[in-house]
Amino acid sequence: MTKFLSSYEGLVSATVIGELRQLGNRLTGKKVVHVNSTRVGGGVAEILDWMIPLMRDVGLDAQWEVIEGNSDFYSVTKKFHNGLQGLPVTISRREWQTYREVCEENAARLRPILEEADFVVIHDPQPAALLGLCPGRKGKWIWRGHIDISRPTHSVWRGLRPFISGYDASIFSMCQFAQPLPHPQFLIPPSIDPLSPKNMDLDPEELTSVRNQYNLDSDKPLLVQISRFDRFKDPLGVIAAYRIVQKVQPVQLVLAGGGATDDPEGQEVLEEVLAAAAGDSDIHVLLLPPDAHRTINALQRLADILIQKSTREGFGLTVTEGLWKGKPVIGGDTGGIRLQVVNYHTGFLVNTPEGAAHRIRFLLHHKGLRSKMETRAREYVREHFLLTRHLRDYLTLFHILNSRKDSSTIYV
Amino acid sequence: MEDFIIRDCSLLTKTSGLPAAINLRELRERLAVCRQDVLYHHFCETPLVPSFDNPDYKNDFAVWALLHLGDRVLAEQLGIINPYIFTDLEKLREKVLEVLDERLSQAYFVPSCQPGEEFFFTEAVTVVFDTGKRITSPEKLPEAIGRMTTGSIYYHFFEARRRGSLGIDDFSVWLSGFPGQEIWCRALQTVDFVFFTLTELRGELVRVLEGGAS
Repeated sequence: MTKFLSSYEGLVSATVIGELRQLGNRLTGKKVVHVNSTRVGGGVAEILDWMIPLMRDVGLDAQWEVIEGNSDFYSVTKKFHNGLQGLPVTISRREWQTYREVCEENAARLRPILEEADFVVIHDPQPAALLGLCPGRKGKWIWRGHIDISRPTHSVWRGLRPFISGYDASIFSMCQFAQPLPHPQFLIPPSIDPLSPKNMDLDPEELTSVRNQYNLDSDKPLLVQISRFDRFKDPLGVIAAYRIVQKVQPVQLVLAGGGATDDPEGQEVLEEVLAAAAGDSDIHVLLLPPDAHRTINALQRLADILIQKSTREGFGLTVTEGLWKGKPVIGGDTGGIRLQVVNYHTGFLVNTPEGAAHRIRFLLHHKGLRSKMETRAREYVREHFLLTRHLRDYLTLFHILNSRKDSSTIYV
Repeated sequence: MEDFIIRDCSLLTKTSGLPAAINLRELRERLAVCRQDVLYHHFCETPLVPSFDNPDYKNDFAVWALLHLGDRVLAEQLGIINPYIFTDLEKLREKVLEVLDERLSQAYFVPSCQPGEEFFFTEAVTVVFDTGKRITSPEKLPEAIGRMTTGSIYYHFFEARRRGSLGIDDFSVWLSGFPGQEIWCRALQTVDFVFFTLTELRGELVRVLEGGAS
């Protein structure tokens, strides 16, 4: 469905919409190409799904391209992902060769589009090598790192850095994630789309229907973690926390997530989670299809407490989603979750299953505090973490890169 | 008097290239050599940086001292520094270094943070643009402020203090060009703006100007 900025009036003020149009007017007709590795599944695809039409709506000639790869390629890039987030991995010479070959095949297909663009935004490491494969490029190239690379496995970063250092700028979600690079590194937190199926308001009937569909008990407090089945999301740690709470208070737990085409480890982790949950009817492990956005939305709204107990996290869009729905979030004390979960304001940061269990019990007990958190969290998201702010940041970046001045203030 | 030109701005933060500080001594060393833009950003541009928090102190150094060094005395001393009274950012730097040096001289050990709580030095680039909107008379100012984006509020009320030679906000400068408007200029200049979010400040400016008019 095509999106228009005018649809967001009411959720944000008309002046905010006007501000975006004015920033866009001064870039009218500029060709922008975003490139990532998957059309569905994961936060990047979700962001691009709304960003492309809205960039078009403010006057840019924006398009979204997805690289194509085989299973060997995605196995390598999953290793990049794990290695950049600090897991010890070894990438063989043959695997680096596979990476380069697949990027070359994609470059052959995409080169005419990329070389003509005024701005090219390459998301994450999978398509990073495209820069060096487009020698006739005329525009500014930006590498957007969505994951936490604050403590990467050295050999992985050493191998990827030459592909990234030639960009005109890079973007990270937080300054903690940035690495020394020979170009400006801008900080742009991601955002959510309040009108997307995952975040839009839902009728009570739809919530009831989802509750019944998954046999959730309306009398027991519901804990929900929405995330891919990925070790960094620590689903087993969430089950451990649930079991501690279960000893003193009846609760139920939903672990729900979809797969992504660029994540070959998902099935393995899912099987571990199913094994850990076996025999407990109050644990609901749901492997949802990539388009189950309304179901995820409903589960978040049905939850009493949302959990995002990641041990490594880029930003953690599910936290913002939960806060937008007025739910307190118990989040892992890592990455972008730290930016969003402020103790006693929007939830609690925890480091262990024991810590998570303690805060679950604390929040279930302090209903008044939960109620205050609801209002506060929603307003913070409205001010800083909706897509309108995110779009403004991109437009601002394009103006900065378009300017010939190296100044802290640019008049356009 | 010419019309008031409503401008807007959008700020984008970037890394400064300085290594993160893990203790008070490193904070002092980096502050002594950082660009003025870094100092300005951590003192003055905080209202425009996305955050889920609304900390007690409005400059990043005081917040870090409190939350991550656990030094409440230092946080109080840094938190009370008003960056807008310094006509020159080098004077602000001197003041901050003076506070840090004094604290370091008193300390039995150098306060340090936990891993993951380092102080990251950042700066920002601000893109300023003309909204095309104009305010033609002082009577229309409150309503116009009420419709401004937070970026416009920041640009005309905060950033103006760095830009202009008088060290005051754009609204006061403009109003002072009209006869009989001194009272509103004074009213605006008495707003203790530091403790407001930009949204709250917008409401406060409208309240002050409308209250004055009634």
